[in-house]
This record gives sequence, structure tokens and C-alpha cells, in this order.
Amino acid sequence: MSNIRGCNLPDDLFYLVEKHVWAKPIGNGVIRVGMTSVAGKLSGGKLAAVTVKTKNLGTEVKQGKSLATIESSKFVGPVPTPVSGVLLRANEKLADNPNIVIADPYGEGWIAEIQPTDWEGEKSTLATGQAGLAAYQVKMEADGVSCN
Amino acid sequence: MADDKVMIVMTSGPDTPRRCATPFFFASLAVAMEYDVTMFFTIDGTLLLKKGVAETIFPKTGGEPVSKFLRDALENGVKFLACTASMELHDLQPSDLIPEVQMVGGASMWQVAEDSKTVLTF
Repeated sequence: MSNIRGCNLPDDLFYLVEKHVWAKPIGNGVIRVGMTSVAGKLSGGKLAAVTVKTKNLGTEVKQGKSLATIESSKFVGPVPTPVSGVLLRANEKLADNPNIVIADPYGEGWIAEIQPTDWEGEKSTLATGQAGLAAYQVKMEADGVSCN
Repeated sequence: MADDKVMIVMTSGPDTPRRCATPFFFASLAVAMEYDVTMFFTIDGTLLLKKGVAETIFPKTGGEPVSKFLRDALENGVKFLACTASMELHDLQPSDLIPEVQMVGGASMWQVAEDSKTVLTF
């Protein structure tokens, strides 16, 4: 677990830094994806809804394309997927409490699970480990973002 | 590349402030869902595009002005079309409106509607 500019960013996840989303292999070839604590900060800290586009269930979503949307009273934005793959399921707990995405972004607040179509190829495009976190820190400094 | 086109027809204007933010919010939401979004302004909706007007309309006392939601929609890539007949209705000239809007005839409304998967009217 690492703390970058006040943001909790585990070093064992794979980040699409530009979009503030993470991917994590959870076994059987399945990848779990979610938003980072940085995205939670940028969204204003209180969400009204997190909605996975159910039309996409069972279909392939390309890396960087919208997998879900987040809404607050003043903000709306996409949750792009960090990896290409077939959308298997959405986190059903988000309907009851979208704010677990912010309170527990790497645990209960995951957003969806994906069967990747090119994990080996795309893995190298994601930031991970200490080098990945250093890259994330550069992005946060450039954007002037912190969780403090 | 957007999955589908959707259209929002905006007829509400400064007389009904509470009806003026949500359509822009829904437009931004649709972009976040990868839709190609067009807002078509007619009747009183066109008045929201008059320079300086959206900044003065507050859907909620103490809240954000309509201009905030309008700017978010534009920055997200929502296309704005305005009906030329509604400009006549309100004695507006093209130079009276914000530059991001494109003036079109009423027939364009039908063409965009026919090309769209969903049409919402506010």
C-alpha cells in the first residue's frame, strides 16, 4: 500500500493513469476494475450514482471506453475501462450505496469484472509497481491533484 | 466513436429556471455513456443561448447557474443546434447567441430526430 500525495494507491494494481482507473487479475482469467482514490477526490467526494452500462454486459468494451458513469449533484463523468474485454458483471452493491466506490475503492467499491481479450498485450500499457506509482505521481503533480 | 446518437429537444427557457439544468446534465451523462449527443434549442430554449443569459438563471437558490451545466455539456462534446424560427420569435440575431451554437432550419430537427435512437423533450 502506498500513499501518493495523500491518495491511497496500492502498488499491486494496474493503473490506467490518464483515466484514474485500476485493474486487478482475480483468478480464472478474470480482471476486476474500479476507480482510484484520486478519481474519488476529483469527483467531489460524494456520489449520487454509479451505473454500469448494462447494455454492455456480455459484449466487448475497448480499453479507455466508458464502462460506467458516475454522478454527483454537480458532476457527471465516465468510468473508462483500463482493459479491453467482455463485461461479465457489475458490482451489485453499487446500486444501494454508490459511495463505497470512494470509501473502499479497491475493496467493496470495485465496479465491474471483465474477461480480458488482450491482457498480455495491454498489461504493458498500464502503470504498476513502484515505477507505475512514480508515473502516477508525475501525473498528479502535473494536474495539481492531491487527496489532502 | 459513439455507439448511438441521441437528441434532446430543449423548449424550456428563462421563465422556468428549474427546468433548465437537468437537460444539460442528461446530455453530459449521455456523452459519458458514449452516445453522440445533439441538443436542439427551440421555442424558449433558444433564449438560454443568448450571450449572458444562462449566467443569470439559477435552478436552485444558492446553487449553480444554468451556464455551469451548459458549459459542461459543451466541453463534453454535446452539439448545440438552434432553430432559426425561434430566433425570429424572440427577435434574435445570430450574433446575439454564444458562438458554439449552429443555426439550422426546422427540417434539420426532423433529420436529427430520425437519425437518433432516442429523442427527449424538455
